[in-house]
Order: sequence, then structure tokens, then C-alpha cells
Amino acid sequence: MRERNDIAEEIAQHLEDRYEELRAQGLSHEQASRDAERQVRHLARELNAVGQVVPGPPSRPHDPIASLWGSWGSIWLDFRYACRMLAKRPGFSAVVIVTLALGIGATTAIFSVVDGVMLRPLPFPKIDRILMLRERTIDGRAMSVSWPDFQDWQQQNTVFDHVGVFRPTSVNLTGGDRAERLDATLASSGLFGAMGLQPILGRAFSEAEDRAGTDRVAVISERLWRRRFGGDPSLVGRTIALSGDTYSVIGVMPQGMRFPSRLTDVWLPLGLFVDGMPPRGAHPGLTAVARMKAGTTLERAETEMDTIAQRLAAQYPASNKNTRVIVTPYYEQIVQNIRPALVALTCAVAVVLLIGCANLANLTLSKSEARAREIAVRAALGAARWRVVQQLVVESLVLAAAGGLLGALLAAWAVRAFVASQPASIPRIDLIAVDLRVLAFTGVVSIATALLVGLAPALRASAPDLLTTLREASRGTAGVGARRLRAALVVGEIALALVLLVGAGLMVRSFNRLMAINPGFDPERVVTARLMLPEKTYPDRAGWTRFHRELLRRLGGVAGIEAAAVNSAVPLEGGGSEAPVIKEGDAMPTPDRPAATTLFQTTSPGYFQAMGIPLVRGRAFTERDTADAPPVVIVDETLVRKVFGDVNPIGKRIAFELAGGHGPHAEPRWREVVGVVGHVKHYGLSVEPPFVQLYTPIEQLPTYWQPRGPAMALVVRTTMPARTLADVIRGELAAMDRDVPLYGVRTMDDYLAQSTEQQRLSVMLLGGFGGLALVLAVVGIYGVLSYIVGQRTQEIGIRIALGATRRDVLRLVLGQGLRLTALGLAIGLAASIAASRLIASLLYEVSPRDPATLAALAGLLGAVALAAVAVPALRATHVSPIDALRSE
Amino acid sequence: MQYMKAGKGGMLDRELKKGSAELLILSLVETQPRHGYEISKLIEARSDGALSFRVASLYPLLYRLEKRGWIQGRWLEKAGQRRRRYYRLTAAGADVLASQRSTWRNFAAAINRIAGVEPV
Repeated sequence: MRERNDIAEEIAQHLEDRYEELRAQGLSHEQASRDAERQVRHLARELNAVGQVVPGPPSRPHDPIASLWGSWGSIWLDFRYACRMLAKRPGFSAVVIVTLALGIGATTAIFSVVDGVMLRPLPFPKIDRILMLRERTIDGRAMSVSWPDFQDWQQQNTVFDHVGVFRPTSVNLTGGDRAERLDATLASSGLFGAMGLQPILGRAFSEAEDRAGTDRVAVISERLWRRRFGGDPSLVGRTIALSGDTYSVIGVMPQGMRFPSRLTDVWLPLGLFVDGMPPRGAHPGLTAVARMKAGTTLERAETEMDTIAQRLAAQYPASNKNTRVIVTPYYEQIVQNIRPALVALTCAVAVVLLIGCANLANLTLSKSEARAREIAVRAALGAARWRVVQQLVVESLVLAAAGGLLGALLAAWAVRAFVASQPASIPRIDLIAVDLRVLAFTGVVSIATALLVGLAPALRASAPDLLTTLREASRGTAGVGARRLRAALVVGEIALALVLLVGAGLMVRSFNRLMAINPGFDPERVVTARLMLPEKTYPDRAGWTRFHRELLRRLGGVAGIEAAAVNSAVPLEGGGSEAPVIKEGDAMPTPDRPAATTLFQTTSPGYFQAMGIPLVRGRAFTERDTADAPPVVIVDETLVRKVFGDVNPIGKRIAFELAGGHGPHAEPRWREVVGVVGHVKHYGLSVEPPFVQLYTPIEQLPTYWQPRGPAMALVVRTTMPARTLADVIRGELAAMDRDVPLYGVRTMDDYLAQSTEQQRLSVMLLGGFGGLALVLAVVGIYGVLSYIVGQRTQEIGIRIALGATRRDVLRLVLGQGLRLTALGLAIGLAASIAASRLIASLLYEVSPRDPATLAALAGLLGAVALAAVAVPALRATHVSPIDALRSE
Repeated sequence: MQYMKAGKGGMLDRELKKGSAELLILSLVETQPRHGYEISKLIEARSDGALSFRVASLYPLLYRLEKRGWIQGRWLEKAGQRRRRYYRLTAAGADVLASQRSTWRNFAAAINRIAGVEPV
């Protein structure tokens, strides 16, 4: 079976044989070429006169697939031809496919993350109508919602269909083999309406369950229902034991109800807790969520909430004078932290892909020039221009398909590894996967890549100037147009690579700054875990305190434990309670003259030692700081600075428990400052709210905690691995009370790593992409310079023959390479500065236009490019004039 | 249809040439496979330049002969050389060659007898 392409190749070879023979006989290049041209001209004329000597693609009876496809058969033939051509050049094909696989794979992996986090619809219907409502002070500090304020919002608003309020908590599920701690949420009935989801079984809360005195009922998640209760439909109406109380299950919410967190398994009615709600002005950790009425805009909702807040401020000036409302669309809230990083990464990966495309376009250009003669003969044989373009584009598509396939595999592997590492800073991590959506995206990217890489060279190669092409092809020189296109590709590559390198460099600098931050404690060998005491068994302070003291006493006797303590919060975790703080002699704070706000924690003796927090002055807590002893407090250095200034605070008295709330009638509970400790990064390494810090002894609980203390964190400095330690603690706990679960066992190193996780990920990915871009750009400029030197061998030979020195030649070639590099760097610097806004929000204490980073990376790229240019330049100086002229 | 350009003194009839062109190619690939350029060089050399093929004629003719099943082409790659398409005679082609040879012999003998040309 013969094909048109075979004949073209045979004829092209014939012409070459003829040319070489004529040259061997001593004819000049021009004479020999003229003969070839005459043959081709004749060929074209003859074929036109004769008609189709060589049958065209549409009728191809020998190939069943081609004839089956009718006029599409030509693509099938091109496909087979392309596969053969690529198999014939395995080196070229491998380079192209690997470059494409890296580019497309990285793009696919990042897209799958973007898709899982930002694009995939959340399961809540009309999610754009769901708003999160919080309160804030007039100067912008966010607060949780005051219960009476929420009730007024509920009554006064006209823009919401549903509005609910919730507070995350956790419960111990008992009654099985062992106690299990579950994420739970106190929720008012409006919550389910606001999210727009119906239970799959039973019912959600009704308004009756928002009021005090409601029955103990619970709604559970589908996941818990299946996992723990085997999906038994008769569970509704039965009771379960939560934290020592009996609750009847009234409903099961569908899988999609991952609210307020994806781990929430239990919803409890708010009505059970409304009796304990503090008065207006206190903000007990509530958040409100609302569903806007159809046709309501975000602006209108904001305006109305602002109106209501101002009305309340006028009505209750003592508590609400400075209180306003923050309205955030729910979707925004989910993605707002991660979006800048994802946008930057998406841009970075697109840049890598573009650089890869530029390289491949260059390669294809070189190849298509090498094949120019074959293409010209095919054109002479009557092939239409579009057929030639089709052939070349099909070849690119075959390459891109192979690259895309390999890239998809790479991406699937990378994404699986990424998800398995469970990065906590990525929301909706469980939705990230390489699936059909992502593969469809990969397909589109691959095809776009193929067109980008293949079309420009194909159009150029198929230029109808047959004679010029033949002449050039036989001489092995490229046209001016191709040379310009090539130069432009290299300049673009260098510019893009610089932008990416600068981005990566800034991230690295920022990350280094972040890692250099002193967290205020010594994380080494410190393990923390959470304890939750059931309220039923430990209803008051006495039992609560006794339990912790006994646990610490038992742990103190374990070999391998250097220090053990409990504290009401874990540094870097961010949770905590805040209150205004004053020193003796200060006036009580009012909304117009607010006091400093302090984070307060309660801690057992030995906490500072266990956590490695330095004691700067005075003493730590001891066993003698009991409930009957005089009330004492330990403060941090920021509190001293802010409240006392230069005065030595030891022995002075402060108060943060202002009984009776704000205002002149409040009655402060004074505590004597006995020690000063270092400041701890409580809210995260790079976040620093303007709060000072203080600690109370565990037996002198702040009055805010009634009737007993909060869930405590166990802090142990140990030589044991965390898992072994957890088993030891669980053993001690089981000996004391089987119903107290231990959870959240983590090392402080782990907390530190997590607080920088997003930055670490961004640094690793951007750094990787930057390195990839650097390599690709260098390969690109090396390839182009080598090619150009190859092209100019003859010219260089003549120059040397005419007396040019090696240095002149070096200068000639280096100059050409450096001009391209310099132009690329200049454009890249401008683009980096223009793109700096994109990365600014990801940086910590580094300016996105940091001149040192810009200069260093431009220098690095320039130096590497110089090295890449030097190789072909040095080669050029070794051109022998005789060989060069003969090779013509 | 013109397959061969007339060399010096060669004034062959079209039909004659058509038949003879096929005969020439079949003869040349009879003993060993040859590629297109080799075939054209051999025709030119063995006819002392009296006969030569144009590119435009040779390859379509090879194509047609192959399509009829008289010759078979195969791409072969030899070390250090570009790949070439070599043609060999098939069994069917050998039959055709035999019959064309005898036709030509009879034809040439008849011409010789009439024209009084000495047998070569």
C-alpha cells in the first residue's frame, strides 16, 4: 500500500541524491539547485496536467479505517504518519513528551486543587444567598454575636428568609466500647433553613427547640448514622448518650451538611443553653448565618443590618454604642484565606506550561525546517496548504496527547500524595481528586498546547513560497521570519522564568522570616492533648479541679515525663477568651475609653516549665495558690508594657473580671501580679491581634467560667514518642474514669508546622515551579543559540578566513545571546513589578518589590543564561574555515 | 502520456515507450531490489544517456506497477544512510516480465527484419 507521503519522501530523496551527485561532479550550489527546481517545476506542471496520478486522501480503499471515516480518513492517515515520524525520532519525541507531561501534569494537579476548593459547587442550594453575620467594634475588630442582639436581628430584619445562630462545641459519645469525642454544634432552628438542606430522615429543629426548657434532642450526620449506627432507620426516636446526658435522635442530616465544619457530626438545640446566655454586650462565641430572600442583594442586606445595629446602639448605648455588623458571603469565607495562594499558584503553573510551549514551538520550528523540503515536495505534488498544516498539527496533537496522558498520571499520583498528607490549611481537602472534570480540563489544556506549539511553525512551514523553501532547505538556513519568531520565543521564556523565579524567591524570603519568629515557647519534645470531662460526673469546680490534680499527680510518677501540666488553651491554636484589663487606680473602661484587652488562660503549676515559656520576673504558680489563698495572676511582657509602662508590676494589682459588666457600677475582682512571663504567639506565627496575655492558677478560676472550668489541654514535656505517651495517658485515664476521652494528641512541633503549612506548601510549589521554569528557559536559550550558531557556521568560517580572531567570534555569538537575555530580563523585571500585587498578600514582612530579591534572581537567571550561551559560543570559535566552507 | 524524454537520437513512439518503460523497470529489479534513484541512474547509464526518466514520471509509474502487484516496495534503513524504498519483482511481475520480453523480442526481430537492421 503506497501513500502520498511515501512518494513525497521518495521524490525528496531523489532530488537530494541528484543534488549531491551534481555537486560531486563539480557544479555550484546554484546550478545544482536549479536542476532540482526544474525537476520540481516540471513535476508540478505534469501532475496538474495529468490530474491525480497519486490519489488523494478521500478515496483510500486499502485502508478500511480511513474509508470508514470518509473524509475524516485523511486525519487517520495523518495520525498514523505522525506516529511513524515520532517513532523515528525517539530522542526528540521523548524530550517533547516529558516537557509536556511536566507542564500539563503540574497544571492538572493545581487545577484539581482549585477545582476541589473553589470551583466545585458546595452542596447547599443557592449558596450565593447564604451570609455569615458577626459583630464588630466600630474600629473593625471582629467579635462573636451577642445573644440578645441576635434575637433583635431575627425580629427586625426584612431581608432574610431564615436566620440562625450556632456555636461549635464537642461532645463525648458514650455507650459503646469506648468514649468517642465528636464535633458538635449548638444550633438554632434557623440554621438548617439558612443552609437550605432537609434531613434525610426525621426532622430538623423547630422553633420550640430554640426556647429554654426544650427536651434533650439531637440531629446527627449521615456519616455518624452509618458509621456508628449501621444506617438503622429506626434510630430516629431512640436515645443516645452524649457527654453523660441522654438525647433522643430526631433527625439525620445528609452528607452535604458539612456545616459549620466538615467534621460536624451532631447538632444540639440552642434552647438547652439559652438560660446560660450572658447579657447584651457579652459575646459568647455565637455566629449567625442567614439566607437572603430571593432578589435581595448583598448591599441591601448589609445596609439593613447596619441600620439595625445603629438602632440597637441608640437603644442600648452602654453595651452597643460601638457595635456594628460584619456580613460575609459564606462562599467568600470558605475560600478567602486560600484564594491568593491558589491564584498565584495557578498563574505560576500556567507560566511553566507557557515556557514549556515556547521550548517546544522552537523545537518544532527547527524540525519543520529540517523537513521543509519534504513539505515543499508534498505541496508540489498538489497537497493543499491546509493539508500540510493539518499534518503538522496532527503531529503536535499526538505529542500533546502522549504528554497529556503522562501528565494526568503524574497529577493523579501527586494529588493522591498531597491529599494523603492531610494539609489542614486547605479547606475541603477531601473533595480534591483527579476525576472526570479534571481530566476534561487536562484534555482542553493538551489540545490548546498542541495548537500553541504546532500551529505557528506549521503555518510558517507551509508557506507557499516553494522555491525559496527548497533553496533554503537545501542550504540548511532559516528564513528571517523564523529567526525572529525564535528570538521572540526565547525573550518571552526568559521574561516568564524571571517572573516566576522572583515570585518563588519572595516566598522563600518570606518563609525564612516566618521561620525565624520566636513563638515564645520551646516546642521541642512537647506533646499536647485535649481532655473533656463530662458535665454529669464533674458538675462543679471541686470535682473538675480534683480530676486534673489527680491526673497530673499520676503522670508525674511516669518515667519519661519531665513535666506535665494543664492549660485552658494551646499556643498557636488560636482559641481563647478575652476580656478588658485594668490596673488598680485606673477608671473603669467605657465604650469611649476602652481598656486594653487581654487573653486569659488558666493553668496548673508547672505549665511554664512544661511549655518552655521563660519566667522573666517574680515566681510561677505553686500548689499554694489555692482557692482560699489571695487571688494572684501572672502576666506577659506585653501586658506590663501596655498597662504598667516602666513600673515594676510585681505586687501591683490588676483586674480583668469586671463583675457586673461594663460601666461605673462594675465591681472588679483584683488579683496581685506575682510573675511576668514572655509573650507567646497564641494566634499563629504571623498573626498578632492587639491582645495582651495573663494566666490564673487552676484553683482560682476566672469568674467567667461557671460553674466549672473549660476543657483543658494537657501539656507534657517528654522523651517518649507522642503515640506511646498517648497510650500511657489513656491508661491512666481509664484507671480514673473510662468515660473521659483523650483527643487531639499533637506535638507542639506539629502545631508550629501547621501554622506555617500554607506558606510551606506555597514555597515548595512555587520554588519547584521556579526551578522548572529556570531549567526550561535555559534549555530553550541553549537550543536556540546552538541552532543559530549551526546556521551561521559558514558565515563564521568566512569571518575567520578573513582574519577575525576567536575573540571576535566569541563576541559575535555571545553578543547575540546576551542581547536576547538582557531583553528578556528587562521585560521580566517590568512584569515582576507589575505582578507584585498578586503575591503581596502571601508575603510576611517582605515587600513584593524587594529590590534585593529582584536583583539577585535577575542576576542568577542572567548568569545561568550566560553559561547556556557560552557553550555554543565557544563551539563557534573552534569552527575551521576550511570545513565550514566545504560543508556548504 | 510522456514517460521518457527523448535522448539524443531516441525517437520512440509513445505507446512503444509506455510498454518499454514498464519492461525497463521490471528488468532492472529482476535480479535484486533497487531504489528509485538507482533505477533512474541505471536506465541513464545503460542507455548511454539515450534514455532518462523524469522524476514526475518515474515515481507514479513505480506506484502503478506496485498497485498492479508486479513489484513490491519496502522501506529499508541501512546504517549511516537515510532510509530508502527498495522495489523487488513479485511472482506476478516475473510472469509479466517474461511475456513482455518475448513480445519485445518478437517485435524487435520483426522490425529488424523489415528495416534490415543488423541484429545486435
